[in-house]
Amino acid sequence: MALTLKVCCAELLANIWRLRLEPRRISSFKQTGLLFPSFKSHRSSHSISGPSSLVPLTSLSSPPWPEVKSISSEEEQRQNTAVVQKVNSLITNEEYGRLFAVVHFASRQWKVTNEDLILIENHVAAGCGDRIRMEKVLMVGGENFTLIGRPIIGKELVRVEATVIEKTESSPKVYMQFWRRHRFQRKKIITSPQTILRINSIEMVPRLK
Amino acid sequence: MTSRGTPSRFLQSVLQNGVGRYVCQLKRISIIFSKNAQSSLGVREFIEEGVVDYAKTNPGTVVYVSPNTSRIPKIVAEYLNGNVREEEVTSKSSKQILELINKLTNQSGLDVIRLRKPFHTDSPSIQGQWHPFTNRAPSIGPIRPLP
Repeated sequence: MALTLKVCCAELLANIWRLRLEPRRISSFKQTGLLFPSFKSHRSSHSISGPSSLVPLTSLSSPPWPEVKSISSEEEQRQNTAVVQKVNSLITNEEYGRLFAVVHFASRQWKVTNEDLILIENHVAAGCGDRIRMEKVLMVGGENFTLIGRPIIGKELVRVEATVIEKTESSPKVYMQFWRRHRFQRKKIITSPQTILRINSIEMVPRLK
Repeated sequence: MTSRGTPSRFLQSVLQNGVGRYVCQLKRISIIFSKNAQSSLGVREFIEEGVVDYAKTNPGTVVYVSPNTSRIPKIVAEYLNGNVREEEVTSKSSKQILELINKLTNQSGLDVIRLRKPFHTDSPSIQGQWHPFTNRAPSIGPIRPLP
């Protein structure tokens, strides 16, 4: 209780100090009352945004980057169609060079290109030498364009193939528990299955070929 | 020992395996056992039941079966890259031995040590590495300090 009283007194004092600094606003203060801290804070923020000439030019008063002018919707539409036409012509003429893809496999996303190796820390049902098709393709890109799936790209548009080249076990990992002064220690040696995949090909529009 | 102190390598394959076709990397496997020791019972069972099937399903692998006076039966696997792996199969059942041989067949013969990264690529960037001028219109002009 005493503490809250003290805080109130301090606030009053601060308000009085502020009033002395700004003698013009005494009348308005009298009308509304002194014991509204929220009102006080509002007034203080109001006093900062005064006439623009008084505010110094800093990164806080005006952003340092130039103002961005938004283009009209028609202009945007025109630019979009131009880009789509350009990308379509690149795809039909096969002028994309080496392709890359972002593939979702074994609950993580892999950025792959041809002749890549990826290691999966788990058992895969396919045997060694089997060719599998990766169907969850999130993104495909060439040298000058990128197609982004929402969330994945359709099977008829892209085909990513991989071969299982090795199924092995990880190096043994030591899992050690030790509780000092308690005669307690436990040692576990863990190996987990691993599968290595080789990305064979990334093809675009395989139905047309 | 922490895992950082252990030997490590990067992910790799033997002679670009799988780019054209897949080649089984196990070239030779020899099953060394004793004709009468108790510890070789499972191996003798495996030789009666499963070894012919295994050899038929893996035509690229040579299988040697050599009886020995030694009491410790073992399986010696030799790989195309020259590595040799010996596995002791003392008092293991025929099913366990088949599992072990399948595991050895599926491996590539590279050392089983810590792998530093779960991927390997020869072309790390297709659209070019990012730098501060990527996708920056030339009309904006060069980067210079703020006025």
